[in-house]
Amino acid sequence: MGKVVGIDLGTTNSLVAYVRDGVPQVIRDASGDGLVPSVVSLGEDGTFFVGREAQRRLLTAPSRSVYSVKRFMGRGIDDVRGEAELLPFRVGGEAGGVVRIGLDDREFTPPEISAFVLRELKQRAEDHFREQGEFDFEVDRAVITVPAYFNDAQRTATRDAGRLAGLEVLRIVNEPTAASLAYGLDRRDRGIIAVYDLGGGTFDISILKVEDGVFQVLATNGDTHLGGDDIDRLLVELVLRELDREQDPSHDAGRVLHSRPAEDIQAIRKAVIAAKHDLTDVEETEIRLDSLDYRRRITRGEFERLIRPLVERTIQPVRQALADAGLEPAEVDEAVLVGGSTRVPFVRRIVSELFGRTPHSELNPDEVVALGAAVQADILISGRREMLLLDVTPLSLGIETMGGVVSKIILRNSTIPASGREMFTTGVDNQTSVDIHVLQGERELANDCRSLARFKLRGIPPMPAGLPRIEVRFQIDANGILSVAASELRTNIAQTIEVKPSYGLTDQEVERMLIESFEHAQADIEARLLIEARNEGESVITATEKTLRRPDFPEIAAADLQPGEHEKIQSALDALKQVMGGADRDAVRDLTHALNHATQHLAEVMMNRGVREALAGKNVKDV
Amino acid sequence: MTPDPIPAQPVATLECRNCGAGAPVDEHFCPQCSRILMLGRHGDYFSFFGLPRRLVIDQAQLERRFRDLSRQFHPDYFYNAAATERLASLERSSYLNDAYRALRNPISRIEHLLAIEGLPPAKSEDPSTSSGQAASKVPPGLLEEVFELNEQLDEIRESRESGGDPAALRERLESARKPIDLKREEHEREVEALSAQWDRQAMASPAEKRATLDALRERLLERNYINNLLASIDREAQSLEPKAESRG
Repeated sequence: MGKVVGIDLGTTNSLVAYVRDGVPQVIRDASGDGLVPSVVSLGEDGTFFVGREAQRRLLTAPSRSVYSVKRFMGRGIDDVRGEAELLPFRVGGEAGGVVRIGLDDREFTPPEISAFVLRELKQRAEDHFREQGEFDFEVDRAVITVPAYFNDAQRTATRDAGRLAGLEVLRIVNEPTAASLAYGLDRRDRGIIAVYDLGGGTFDISILKVEDGVFQVLATNGDTHLGGDDIDRLLVELVLRELDREQDPSHDAGRVLHSRPAEDIQAIRKAVIAAKHDLTDVEETEIRLDSLDYRRRITRGEFERLIRPLVERTIQPVRQALADAGLEPAEVDEAVLVGGSTRVPFVRRIVSELFGRTPHSELNPDEVVALGAAVQADILISGRREMLLLDVTPLSLGIETMGGVVSKIILRNSTIPASGREMFTTGVDNQTSVDIHVLQGERELANDCRSLARFKLRGIPPMPAGLPRIEVRFQIDANGILSVAASELRTNIAQTIEVKPSYGLTDQEVERMLIESFEHAQADIEARLLIEARNEGESVITATEKTLRRPDFPEIAAADLQPGEHEKIQSALDALKQVMGGADRDAVRDLTHALNHATQHLAEVMMNRGVREALAGKNVKDV
Repeated sequence: MTPDPIPAQPVATLECRNCGAGAPVDEHFCPQCSRILMLGRHGDYFSFFGLPRRLVIDQAQLERRFRDLSRQFHPDYFYNAAATERLASLERSSYLNDAYRALRNPISRIEHLLAIEGLPPAKSEDPSTSSGQAASKVPPGLLEEVFELNEQLDEIRESRESGGDPAALRERLESARKPIDLKREEHEREVEALSAQWDRQAMASPAEKRATLDALRERLLERNYINNLLASIDREAQSLEPKAESRG
């Protein structure tokens, strides 16, 4: 059995942690850095960069570098069209299907991109365990966190990413709940905790009741598209507007031209993020872009006016979660801050006002989720029972009924695991199948809810219409992921259910990707070897041609080469040049050898001449 | 996962999938080998919690019992167990959560009692999710109030559409709401009294018990109706509100 770790797969950064001797700790690199930027970049030679290196390539190879892919997990292209505009990489996909991200001539689904980040974290952990002298250093299982407000498709996509990275995902845990576990370690006391989690791309609020080591989530709410990314985008747009105006003073200040090269956008993004970070500690700073000859002062006041509408979007979910929990703000004993964006002083002020108390921020808001995930991983493998997490499903689950109305089967904020049943029957005589559409969301109409899956109940025994009694059972497991089973009660026949996820990958697709990722791993090595072979061939060609082009070459050939030797060299050279552009690595390598061999004598001749010339040009005394 | 068969009669005993021993339906773990038992077809939340069928419940005690059972069933603790035990843990945890949700709230507790006592459901409609058409037949005990209120609402609506003063209309709406609020309070007291009465009737005759249950069911139907009336007053109040200002 290998090791089990806790992973915070974040929008901006990801971390891996584990529990040693009862204490959770983040695994860091040699320089003490625990964060792995959630960035994946495809190199020009077909190899992949992940993390810091990929992050550097955001500036140099923006169209080949993906960031914030978490925003696209479990989503369709129709959901993300608007925000894909400002991104330097290609975001596409078929209408009604999952998002596909284009890098060079290859296409990836968001789980595949996330799998690169997970593999990097797995590798980091394994390196760490190996360095610790552990005999069994392989990491094969993990607890991965997701925003509490993630729906079924987003959770499933996260689990698929884990599988693609070679990790058995023991549990999907909600980020705010994981954070509370990390905080709750030393404090076994009872009380109501509010976890306010504003990360790179998502906002969550969870209200928990802690008693006897049981962390019971009472209610959760949030916005899966609200976070530091949005703050950055406001600042980028501010700079773009000003640059546009500089070029053309008559330009409408409300509109942003999206015609800048990706390199510029990334440079602006980097500069505004630096300024944003500055404003956490100082009242005034500068956005500075040497490459675009742009600089501008920005005060904290101006920054806060800019981001106020964004931050205020967190207030309604907080109120709703409190209402769902049946609590007044004053009944909250402790408020906890999670996520990098809670470093923004304005955010802290809003939280203090909401709960009427200063929120906790003793633990590093970037690390607390990964620490909690490690604690949960430890609970699962050790069977320790002093702590237990009881989470809820963030969204109601229902099915479409007549007229496109949703009938709710499991209500939001139900403690999970949770189950629900619904009876179906047939509308026509001898009907043997029924179509069922499963949805998630709070709205009345199916069109306004999230489509999770459509499936067909087959194998219903032929009976007059309305007679079959088909019971469909919905089960949400402790990961918040749905499964469905059905049976016809009159005949006790279990139904076959084909669930086709609306915005996810089927098991077969995941399997295929797994195989492809192995093939690609192989292809990546092939690509690298081919490039090395070409480089070697290139240097032999260059050296040979240089010699052949020498003005004194005919003279040399006449004096020192065998009859036909020049022709042999020329034909070996031509043969190699012929295959250089191709992908046949063996041919490149073999013909390089052949040319090397053919020019061996020539090389000796040239070397001897060189030595002679060198000696000839010098005084005998100097030798 | 094979769906459990559904016999016409409730199962009286459970069979341990591990050792084959039989167990009473309210046991959670096999008395012989102490493995977690498959749920079977359980229908009684009270007995699942080990509680008598009483309507007045000590909330703190219920909560403790819920945490206690969660600690015994939760899938977190069955990761390394056999597949059937993992499934049993999932089933029992789900059922526990459903049961706790139903028992924790006094109204859904009554609904569950009515269901297991064999009375047709008086399903409560959450006014926020129902479209208001739930209780179409006016319960006899509410006829007078409903008649009065509908008249008032019609007048207010008419006046609003012809440009009546919103402040005055809001005031009228408030006074129209009063009798309904009072009715609801009175109603809640009746439900409480009936619940306490049920709890005292453990030794009573079936006919007496049935009378109490019928009364409770009647109250629940009325309650739904009252909630719908209050919801329609709220909707009317909403349309009297000045339009929300757009924020700058």
